[in-house]
Amino acid sequence: MPIFDQGYQHWDGQLSGHGWRWLTVTRQGVRAQMKNRLTRVVLLFALLPAIGLALTLIAWGLLEQQADFIRPLFAFLRLPRELMEGPKAFRQPIWSAAFHFFFSFEMFFSMILVMLVGPGLISQDLRFNAIPLYFSRPLRRFDYFLGKLGVIGFFLALVAIVPAVLAYLLGVLFSLDFSVFKDTWRLLAASIGYGLVIVLSAGTLMLALSSLSRNSRYVGLFWVGIWIISGTVGGVLSGMHEESAEHEARRAEFELARLAGQGARKKGFDQNEWMRIQEKANAARAEAARSNWRPLFSYTDNLHRMRAAFFDTHSSFVLLGKVGGRNNRELADQLVPQYPWYWSAGVLAGLFGISIWILTTRVKSLDRLK
Amino acid sequence: MDPDHESEIPRPPEVRVAAGAPRADATVTPVADAPGSPDIVRPIVVFDGVSKWYGNVIGINKLTLRIPPGVTGLLGPNGAGKSTLLQLATGQLRPSQGEVRVLGHVAWNHPALNRRLGLCPEQDAFYEWMTGWDFIHTCARLSGLGRAEAHDAAERALEQVRMTDNMNRAIRGYSKGMRQRTKIAQALVHEPEVLFLDEPFSGTDPVARRELMDIILRLAQDGKSVLVSSHVLHEVQTLTPNIILLNHGRLVAEGHLRQIRDLIDKFPHRIVLVCENYRALAARIVHWDDVEGVKVLRKERSLLVETHAPDRFYSRLPEVSLSGGGAIEEVYSDDDNLEAVFKYLVNK
Amino acid sequence: MLFQLDNVTKTYGKITALKSLAVEVGPGAVGLLGPNGSGKTTLIRTLLGLINIDAGTGSVLDMDIHSQRLDIRQAVGFVPEDECLFPAVDGVDFVAYAGELGGMSRTDCLQRAHEVLDYVGLGEARYRRVETYSTGMKQRLKLASAIIHDPQLLILDEPTNGMDPDGRRDLLELSRDLAHNKGMSLLFSSHLLPDVEAVCDHVVVLGRGQLLAQGRIQDMKQVHHRFFEVRLKDDPERFVRHLRTLGCTAEPRDDLLLVQIPADQTQALLWQTAAATGGQIRFLRPQRSTLEEVFLKAVAEV
Repeated sequence: MPIFDQGYQHWDGQLSGHGWRWLTVTRQGVRAQMKNRLTRVVLLFALLPAIGLALTLIAWGLLEQQADFIRPLFAFLRLPRELMEGPKAFRQPIWSAAFHFFFSFEMFFSMILVMLVGPGLISQDLRFNAIPLYFSRPLRRFDYFLGKLGVIGFFLALVAIVPAVLAYLLGVLFSLDFSVFKDTWRLLAASIGYGLVIVLSAGTLMLALSSLSRNSRYVGLFWVGIWIISGTVGGVLSGMHEESAEHEARRAEFELARLAGQGARKKGFDQNEWMRIQEKANAARAEAARSNWRPLFSYTDNLHRMRAAFFDTHSSFVLLGKVGGRNNRELADQLVPQYPWYWSAGVLAGLFGISIWILTTRVKSLDRLK
Repeated sequence: MDPDHESEIPRPPEVRVAAGAPRADATVTPVADAPGSPDIVRPIVVFDGVSKWYGNVIGINKLTLRIPPGVTGLLGPNGAGKSTLLQLATGQLRPSQGEVRVLGHVAWNHPALNRRLGLCPEQDAFYEWMTGWDFIHTCARLSGLGRAEAHDAAERALEQVRMTDNMNRAIRGYSKGMRQRTKIAQALVHEPEVLFLDEPFSGTDPVARRELMDIILRLAQDGKSVLVSSHVLHEVQTLTPNIILLNHGRLVAEGHLRQIRDLIDKFPHRIVLVCENYRALAARIVHWDDVEGVKVLRKERSLLVETHAPDRFYSRLPEVSLSGGGAIEEVYSDDDNLEAVFKYLVNK
Repeated sequence: MLFQLDNVTKTYGKITALKSLAVEVGPGAVGLLGPNGSGKTTLIRTLLGLINIDAGTGSVLDMDIHSQRLDIRQAVGFVPEDECLFPAVDGVDFVAYAGELGGMSRTDCLQRAHEVLDYVGLGEARYRRVETYSTGMKQRLKLASAIIHDPQLLILDEPTNGMDPDGRRDLLELSRDLAHNKGMSLLFSSHLLPDVEAVCDHVVVLGRGQLLAQGRIQDMKQVHHRFFEVRLKDDPERFVRHLRTLGCTAEPRDDLLLVQIPADQTQALLWQTAAATGGQIRFLRPQRSTLEEVFLKAVAEV
């Protein structure tokens, strides 16, 4: 027939099953966010810690091979001789420490990325009333939430998990020694596991915040609030705690000194005495740190504590502290929070539960009266 | 203009088809003493060369209009300026040019005048926590009624819109139809002389709609004037044949629907005749010189006739119907309703 | 069988939305009427498989509403009532995304999206952001996204609500075309009875969660055989008087005359009267109940 019907045509193609439907939501969200130039810039900057991690692992690998050109660099850094002579023994703690610091820096970029990518995810849908369009299609609420979580997950994976895994592989390659894998495979698993924890925790928290308001700017502000203000609160409380511990120790010392020197006259400030007081305070602080619940107030601190648990940073630093025979617990005590990791896990799980509850309340299924 | 044509169509009183419309010479200024009408028909709302723009965007463009008492329909596509017109008439906006007078007084900045006007706006914005009763009572008090008066007035208004059963529930729980009725009650509570209704029937079900239409018709019978702005043409047609049609902020037509239709001579009238011997009828009709086209509708046993002189055509029907060949069973025109007029005038 | 419900009950707390509803509807264009609060929204959501009903069984397009809910939504298209948009996309993306959510592949979606956008008349605007569309365009966009997967059943919930006359006309034409020429079954829920009449052949009337009436529109609008609606050009007084002498009754109704003629007469009587009195009949039709009357009567019987 020479003239073709320009009107509506029928279609009889295939419709896919239900399992990967959430991926459609994720793809759409990622596509929308990638158009944003700021996101792309931040992604680029977020690669810097990854590069740092890769370089560290590469350098350490080369050191293990006792490559000549790398020794001056390490000599410049003034590493203890023990490390320089027998790096292999310290491989695990150094790698742990490297990953620990990588994720620590990456946390900042992750929070920024979540702040850029996250707020619009549900708040825009609420504002433009896209929910009936979603749920009148073969899509359950679970698929919708999983899809949106996937958007945040994609970006976080891109800056945290994927660089960590790639850096790990580079480090393994550069050490030319398969025993590396045996020593450090736990770090690979821990990277992926920790990455998932961040995605689940930060992702659901951001989605919950996003569902609370129709204005994505407010959501961004909430997020910054939680991140920074909770951090501040935790820091202030911890600071106050430390100050009071130190104050206590000092007071006890002066009491003792007063009683002791009641006969003799005080000759003014004594450097040794000052140092002793400091040590006592540090000891008291270390003791108290085991039960210091104050950092639990800070959201990012909770994530840091989980990281320390995943990468077992505490034992690494203890090992490193033993270098030079000093048995210095300072590194371990000061850089790694001492309270039990399951407290933080509990806080994060609680936040996860609250987020899920908020999401199911704000994004109602259509099985209701109006 | 064909002189034969001229004499057929009587000069209708108080009908104006604005310049730019098909019949340029039909811009007739309102004739006060039309047959059968009182000497002076005092218009309720007068727009005199009114323009309103928002920044650069034009809302109303040199509108000159006199709205008579009774029920009048205000029509126009989206963006035609209907809401602007209503806001100017209720004194919420100040005209950038020209003057708006309602009941003889300038509308702008005249709170005392608002006591005599009622507005039912299109937007749906209530204090959700208040009950219907609270809300209407407060509106009555805000209009200046005393406490006891307001109580009675609120009761009466809610009774009129059939909301007495639900008046003690919070507005939050109302359905769309109930909200519309509450809005209308709010416009009625202070017994205004002029009522402006913007999309009053949106979201109402046919039952509620019928009740509201009855209320409006009753108000008109009681001597109040109502201006109804709506997109739903058949609803306006049920209420009143007097319309005002706006497009792009300008007045396109004003007056009685059929008279407007008669003046649109660009589109000949389409009249359907249903008859058993429709072909024989067609053969006779096609000889008439005012008939411009005859279309045979086989399935419905009818003819669709196009004529530019409907008056002459109709007057010949009894004769042709009775002179053998069978009576004409049905006569109707799908063309002189509001929908057709709107289409012809707005989609040039 | 388009859809069928058997003894379906759904309550929300104290409110019973559907009360032992039993209805069976065949393919075609069906109007869904009912006062506010009659359970129309709940019925539509039940047909979409969105609701856990308390009791009863049912099927849509031969798919069970208990066990095949997601499948139902793959085969049914829905145009929601309120303003709904996917944010920050252009027209093609909008429709393609809607198709993808229904399970189509990306390439199929893009091809179909352009096709349906042409069909609904959004050809020119398809590369613009959807937030810039007018109300009429947004409605047509929703329609396009509902038909992208070529559903067998298209459900429209108050599609012409708030649209200006041009937009309404376009949407009704599209609906009519899909229903009558393209073989798609339609469930058209609306309060505007003339719109329902323009598109649908059958109606289902709900009230208080139950089925009040169902049938072909033409059958439900009874013809009153000896009653005619007549409109004259001028004052009908002479006409009426003459009619009465011939044994007819005539009473004014709105702007028409309702005339009843004796059993053995035809319209010729009216033409004779017109000729005799010099009146000009401009409208003559046998009286038929309007859909509004049918509806009000059905609802009043509850």
